[in-house]
Amino acid sequence: MAESSFKASNVEEVSVVAEKVIRVLKPGLVLLVGEMGLGKTTLIKALCEALGVEETVSSPTFSIVNEYQGAAGEKIYHFDWYRIEDEEEALAIGLDEYLADGDWLFMEWPEKISNLLPLDYQLISLTADADGVRQISLRTVHE
Amino acid sequence: MEINILGIESSCDDTSIAITQNRKILANVTANQEIHAEYGGVVPELASRAHQQNIIPSLDKALKEAQLELEDLDAIAFTSGPGLLGSLLVGTSFAKSLSLALDIPLIEVNHMRAHILAHMIETEDQINPEFPFLCLTVSGGHTQIIVVKSPYEMELLGETIDDAAGEAFDKAGKIMGLPYPAGPIIDQKAKLGNPQAFNFAKPRMKDYEFSFSGLKTSILYFLQKAVKENPEFIAENLNDLCASIQRTIIDILMDKLEKAAKDTGISRIAIAGGVSANSGLRQALKEREQNLAWQCYIPKFEFTTDNGAMIAINAYYKFLEKDFCDLSVVAKARKALSL
Repeated sequence: MAESSFKASNVEEVSVVAEKVIRVLKPGLVLLVGEMGLGKTTLIKALCEALGVEETVSSPTFSIVNEYQGAAGEKIYHFDWYRIEDEEEALAIGLDEYLADGDWLFMEWPEKISNLLPLDYQLISLTADADGVRQISLRTVHE
Repeated sequence: MEINILGIESSCDDTSIAITQNRKILANVTANQEIHAEYGGVVPELASRAHQQNIIPSLDKALKEAQLELEDLDAIAFTSGPGLLGSLLVGTSFAKSLSLALDIPLIEVNHMRAHILAHMIETEDQINPEFPFLCLTVSGGHTQIIVVKSPYEMELLGETIDDAAGEAFDKAGKIMGLPYPAGPIIDQKAKLGNPQAFNFAKPRMKDYEFSFSGLKTSILYFLQKAVKENPEFIAENLNDLCASIQRTIIDILMDKLEKAAKDTGISRIAIAGGVSANSGLRQALKEREQNLAWQCYIPKFEFTTDNGAMIAINAYYKFLEKDFCDLSVVAKARKALSL
């Protein structure tokens, strides 16, 4: 996957971008980085919708991980490590098992568990310009 | 007939075990995991490990307070979801074992329904609402409006499509540099501030849906800009910021609650969940008792946080219907209100 980037200036445009992004992504680990309030959860919500998830995709900050099912029956896990202070906690909830299964794994705040993540992953970075327009950049990382 | 039920709640932070006799509480013991305060939130594995350590001492204490023996119990009830899976599993396994050993019925309880039915606990200082009533459940993980037709029939009118109301308080607090959990701190500071000092955009959501994600972003942008101009802005305006943020979150909640009351014609309004401790929310309800002729039901604080009593009271209603489960029952992290 070559590096690609998209712009979105409102939630509707995020959905349009998500349709394009999901065609480029492969099932597996997808990390989302960006400051609080830039729309990581909103983008994952749109990606899940693009995969055909019918349930409400809400923030997993409280629950740590939410599980959904896509249109083709694929499993989708939405993690939020925001509350984690100690990386070991992620291991203890079964991070290794989740990583081994090859399902869709969308992760917010991966910085919190950076030492535990595999060396290969897909990275989505969110930034905003002065007008609040979001830049959504996508690349594959092989460390 | 007197029915003694043991209620076990372990869906998140707290291990709580209660014993009820019909709708009265004989004991309600909560082992609070203070360890989490140090970790800045709910830490799943710590939670489940601590539940394992807390659950037997909590049971012993509950039995002692209720002045009962295990043999006096008529049923074992437990939270089967929603919650953190590792935590739920502790309570689920413990409940199954007790039910098997004592050879008495096992009753699974939906955590979200139990929060609502906590209103039906019989105590001297709590008035039970008549059915039907509306319930606004607001906590760190949930924001829902429910029509409660009976202890068995509940209809979800709408819920949050992104962040929960409690999460909105905590994340707004984080942006302002307040420690976790920020909700009670914002509430305290809000009392000293001007709720009209700052305006934040409110979401336009259809029907009874809530959204708090946009508010978080709008607070973030507002503060980034303000701090650029005056690095001391947050410190100088903290009380006004807290008051304005709290007012905005409550306005969002009240707009939908008013709509639900109007559309359903129900004026008995209950609140449930941890955020119902918020003084601004309580005040907003009191005003509507005056202006809109609502009858509002605010639970006692000990029944708003996660507790075993609400599990036992919900199980009491299920007991009356002989709605028992067998040992094949599993805990589920996500669970709809209808299940």
